[in-house]
Amino acid sequence: MSILLDKHTRVLVQGITGRIGSIQTRWMLEYGTTIVAGVTPGKGGLAVHGVPVFDTVKEGVRETGAEASVFFVPSAFVKDAFFETVSAGIGFIVVVSEYVPVHDVMAMCGYARLNGVFALGPTTPGILTPGQAKMGIMPASLFSPGRIGIISRSGSLAYEVAGVLSEAGIGQSTVVGMGADPVVFSNMPEILELFERDEGTEAVVIVGEVGGVQEENAAKFIEKSMSKSVAAYIAGRFAPEGKKMGHAGAIIRGSTGTADSKWKALSDVGVEMLETPMDVVDWAKKHGLR
Amino acid sequence: MRLHEYEAANIFESAGIAVPTRAVATTPNEARKIASDLGCPVLLKAQVLAGGRGLAGGVRLATSPEEAYMLSKELLGSDIKGFRVRKLLVSKKINIERELYLGITIDGYERRPVVLVSAEGGMSIEEVARRSPERISLLHVDGYDELFPYQARGVFRKLGISSKQLVPLADILMRLYRVFVCYNALIAEINPLAVTDDGGLAALDAVLDVDDSALFRLGELLPRDRERIENPLERKGKEIGVSYVELEGDIGIIASGAGLGMATMDIIAKRLRPANFLETGGGITRELLYRCMDLVTMKPGIRAIFVNIYGGINPIHEGAKGIVRYIKERDVRIPVVAKALGNHQEESWNILRTGGVHVVTDVPTEKAVDRLFEILGA
Repeated sequence: MSILLDKHTRVLVQGITGRIGSIQTRWMLEYGTTIVAGVTPGKGGLAVHGVPVFDTVKEGVRETGAEASVFFVPSAFVKDAFFETVSAGIGFIVVVSEYVPVHDVMAMCGYARLNGVFALGPTTPGILTPGQAKMGIMPASLFSPGRIGIISRSGSLAYEVAGVLSEAGIGQSTVVGMGADPVVFSNMPEILELFERDEGTEAVVIVGEVGGVQEENAAKFIEKSMSKSVAAYIAGRFAPEGKKMGHAGAIIRGSTGTADSKWKALSDVGVEMLETPMDVVDWAKKHGLR
Repeated sequence: MRLHEYEAANIFESAGIAVPTRAVATTPNEARKIASDLGCPVLLKAQVLAGGRGLAGGVRLATSPEEAYMLSKELLGSDIKGFRVRKLLVSKKINIERELYLGITIDGYERRPVVLVSAEGGMSIEEVARRSPERISLLHVDGYDELFPYQARGVFRKLGISSKQLVPLADILMRLYRVFVCYNALIAEINPLAVTDDGGLAALDAVLDVDDSALFRLGELLPRDRERIENPLERKGKEIGVSYVELEGDIGIIASGAGLGMATMDIIAKRLRPANFLETGGGITRELLYRCMDLVTMKPGIRAIFVNIYGGINPIHEGAKGIVRYIKERDVRIPVVAKALGNHQEESWNILRTGGVHVVTDVPTEKAVDRLFEILGA
C-alpha cells in the first residue's frame, strides 16, 4: 500500500523530449513506473524510450487514460502547462521545476483547489513508492519497501533519511517531496492526512527545515487527527536570520520559522524529535518498524 | 530582489500614489543643492537594504542646505547595519497628522496574498502584531489577482477609519495592490503612510521586494542595475550558480541540496564552527565543484573542507574529478573530508582517495562528520 502513487498509476510526462525529461523518463521506466504518455507541444507523433508523445495533454489523456502527470517543464511555462493539465482532467500533478514565479503558484493553487486536483511542488524531487513507481528525480537506490511514510521539504535530505533507514533494513511506504518554495501546492497536514488513512503506512517521518509555518501547522493537525506515531527532524538550527538558505522557502524572518519554534510545536504534541537524521533508525527500532 | 527606497518610490508614484518631492544624492554637494532646491527642512535617508534604518541613524533631518551638506558627509560612505551607504534620498519634510501602515505580502501557508493595514504606522508590523494585534486589520485575497474596492474599504473600516478618509485610503490600497501584482512582488509596503495636516495622504517610505523567479518577465519595469548582494563571497557564489551564505567559523562546507547543507552545518556545529553554507543544486559537474572548492577556500582561515554530495542528474564521479584537480593544482594542504553517494559512487571514491581526500562511504552524514572531528582532534 502507498499514497498517491503505485505501480498501476498511469503517468504522463510533460517536457518528455527535453534533456532532463528524457533521461528521467528512462529512469522512471526502469524503476517500474507505468508511463503511458509524454507531452511536448510541437513534438506530437514522436516516441521517447517507447513512450508516445502528444502535442496536447487532452490527446494524451484521451489516447492513453493517463491519470497523473509529472512536469519537467521550464519554469516560465509551468503555469500554462498546469492549467492545461488540470483542464484535461488529470487528478494528480508533480511539478519538479524550480524557480516558478510565486504569483504563478498562487494562481495554480486556486485552480487546482477549484478542480479537486492534488499537486506537489514546485521544486520537489517528486514522489517515490519503493519497489513500485516514482514520479520525479529521486535516486532509486536509496529506497526500500516498507511501512514508514516520509514527508520532506528538501530533496537530498529525504534521500539521506530514507537511505539511513534502508541501510538498517527498514523500508518506506511512500516518500513525498513537498517542494521547497514559500508557497507549495499541498501543505504538510494534507499529506499527513493521506498517510494517516493509508493502511500500508504504520508511522511517519517529517523532514522539515527552517522558514514558514508548515511544521507548526502539522503539529496542530497531529494533535487533533493523527493516531500513527510521528518523528521529525528539522534542519537549520544553525541558520542565520534573514538569509535564504538555498531554498526560497527556507528563510527565518524575525522570530518566525526558526528551528526552535518548529521543534517546540512538534514536541509539544508528542512528536519524537530527532537530533540528527541518523537517529531515525533508533526511533524506528523502538517502535518495532521494519 | 529588494528594490531601494528611491526606486520603489518612483514606481509607487507612477502608480498614482502621492510621494513627497525628492531627489537622490551621491555627494554632499548634491545633497546641499537638492536641499536648497526643495526648500528645508529635508530628510536625508540612507539608501540601504536593511530594516530599522531610522533607529540605526540612517535617517537625519536637515534644517538648512549647509546642514544637509554636513550630515551627508557623515552618512555617505558610512555603514548602516552592515551596508555601505552610497546614495541618499533627500526628501522634503511634510507635516504629519497621523501615520498608518499599509502592506501586502504573501501568506505562504494560506497560498494567497494578504493585505495588512494598521493605525500604528512608523514601526515594524511585527512589533505592532506583538504589542497590539487588535490594531491590525487583515484580509486574504481569494481571487489572487483581484482585490475589489469594497474589500479595500472594508479592511480600513475595521480599523475605525472615518467615512471621509475611507475612499482615498482604499484608492491607495488598490493602487498598491496593482503594483504588487504587476511587479510579482513578495512584499509591497508603505510604512508610514502619512495623513498630512491638510488632509492629504503621502507615502513616506516605500518597500518593494520582487520575486527573483519572475525577473525574466519584468524586464523594462525594473532598474537596470540589479546587483544587490553586498557580500563578495555570496556574490561570487551567485556568479558560479550556487547558493552561498557566509558564516563566522572556519570549516568550509560543500553540499548538494539545501536541506542536506543545513543538516551538515548543524551536525558540524556541535563541535566545530561552519565557515559557510553552500548548496550546489542538482546538476553537479567537474567544473562546478572545482569552482566551489575555489569559493570555499577564498574565505581566510579555513581549517578543513567537508563535502557532502548526492549524484542525481549527473553521475557523481564527475564532481569528484573537479575536487581532486583543485587540490592538486592549488596544492591544498588542509584536510578535505568527503561523502559522495549516487551513480558511479565507487569510481568517485577511488578518484577522491587518489587525490588525498578522506572518503567516508557510510550513508549517515554524522559518520562522515565524526571523521572530520577525529582528524581535527575536535
